[in-house]
Amino acid sequence: MTGQVVMESRHLWKIYEKHLIAVKDVSLKISEGEIKLIFGPSGSGKSTFLRCLAMLTIPDKGEVFLRGENLMVQGVDVNKARAKIGFVFQHIWLFRHLTALGNVELALRHVLKMPKEEAREKALEALREVKLEEWAHHYPAQLSGGQQQRVGIARALARNPDIILLDEPTSALDPELIGEVIDTLRDLAKKGTTMLIVSHEMPFAREVASEMIFFDEGRIVETGTPEHFFTEPGSERAQKFMARLIKKTRSE
Amino acid sequence: MEFILRYLPLIWNGFVLTAQVTLFGIFAGLGLGMLLAIGDIYGGKIASTLIRFYVEFFRGSPIIVQLFIFYFVIPKLVGIRIDALTVGFMVFALNSAAYQKGYVKGAMETIFEDQMTAGLSIGMSRTQSIAYIILPQALRIVIPAWSNEFCSLTKSTSALLVIGVRDLTSAGQTIAGQTWRILETWVFIAVVYLLWITIVTKIMDIVYEKKKIPGIEMSA
Repeated sequence: MTGQVVMESRHLWKIYEKHLIAVKDVSLKISEGEIKLIFGPSGSGKSTFLRCLAMLTIPDKGEVFLRGENLMVQGVDVNKARAKIGFVFQHIWLFRHLTALGNVELALRHVLKMPKEEAREKALEALREVKLEEWAHHYPAQLSGGQQQRVGIARALARNPDIILLDEPTSALDPELIGEVIDTLRDLAKKGTTMLIVSHEMPFAREVASEMIFFDEGRIVETGTPEHFFTEPGSERAQKFMARLIKKTRSE
Repeated sequence: MEFILRYLPLIWNGFVLTAQVTLFGIFAGLGLGMLLAIGDIYGGKIASTLIRFYVEFFRGSPIIVQLFIFYFVIPKLVGIRIDALTVGFMVFALNSAAYQKGYVKGAMETIFEDQMTAGLSIGMSRTQSIAYIILPQALRIVIPAWSNEFCSLTKSTSALLVIGVRDLTSAGQTIAGQTWRILETWVFIAVVYLLWITIVTKIMDIVYEKKKIPGIEMSA
């Protein structure tokens, strides 16, 4: 079923100081149309790993491939590579001086160099996909957290990136705003968008993820289907973590 | 007061000169100040140290001394004669840049690293992120400080008379000297300064309001 490999990391390391290793020897493959979900305790290096894939943090060792091109080779234009990767941040980070439309349009105009009209059309289309077309002319400060994050998603997908990386897209939101963002992600999943998501939204994971990856202390501890993790996680750490998550989800 | 009428052309010329030097100083100072702020933040240790020396010199010495240095000392060392007016334009731009670098840098630093990271994440280079994301926000925040800079720059242009440039204050000196009508002369000159500063700062207030964006304000 799965097609070409879109993104891959091979033996990736990020070391902050001698004893503070954020990412340890992580190898991972995501193919066209796949949705993979990374979860694990906070501080386990999930975010750092995601940033390394987008070269927002430069890894210390290993390789990152985007459609077969090694981004760790000297002389590769990383900006150009980033243009093909959508990134959604935990704390949203919209451009505060631009409207929703302006946020989505910026890369289309100045990175992809689209003519004004075409960029506007494309940006509106992306906002339509996250159901925010009528909010196009509002500034970030005038939008709710959930709406802001949907603009963040529109900003990431407007360029038709090869893959979208999402770093805990709902964890900074008030509980009542999480649903609308999850709905948006569900729509993307239905359209076959390739995504790597760091998230602890377990019901959502179960529904859309083709594979779940349990991260702890900077490395991949266990991978498997959602069913595997919900019924019989192998490692003790994964078992404990899942038990806590499921308890938390029920109590909410 | 009719005697003032006779001197109006003199006052007008002085005023035009004062306005020219101030406006040039503030705009060239902004351009240079922006470059210095960017250099200080992103340019590494050596650039940052050089910039600090520059800023300390222009903020730490009286503008009259700076005018003397550029008018008398540097020509002597280099062997090129620069006319007084050019020195005036130069010194006021360089001086203002030292102050404006501080304002722009302060504003850029309140626009946290997150905006740069977000800029990179959409495929922009660092330079593009500065141009399209950081500066448009920083300059909006800087406008009120800019208004102050304009006031103090206008007033310090009266130092130009020490190198013989015929600015507004020097026009006042000439008139007072020739007519001995000291009271009327200086009150009139003061009112011209006052009007000019009031009008320009009002315009800046309007620009600030017009360009204001919800969520981006002066931080306290």
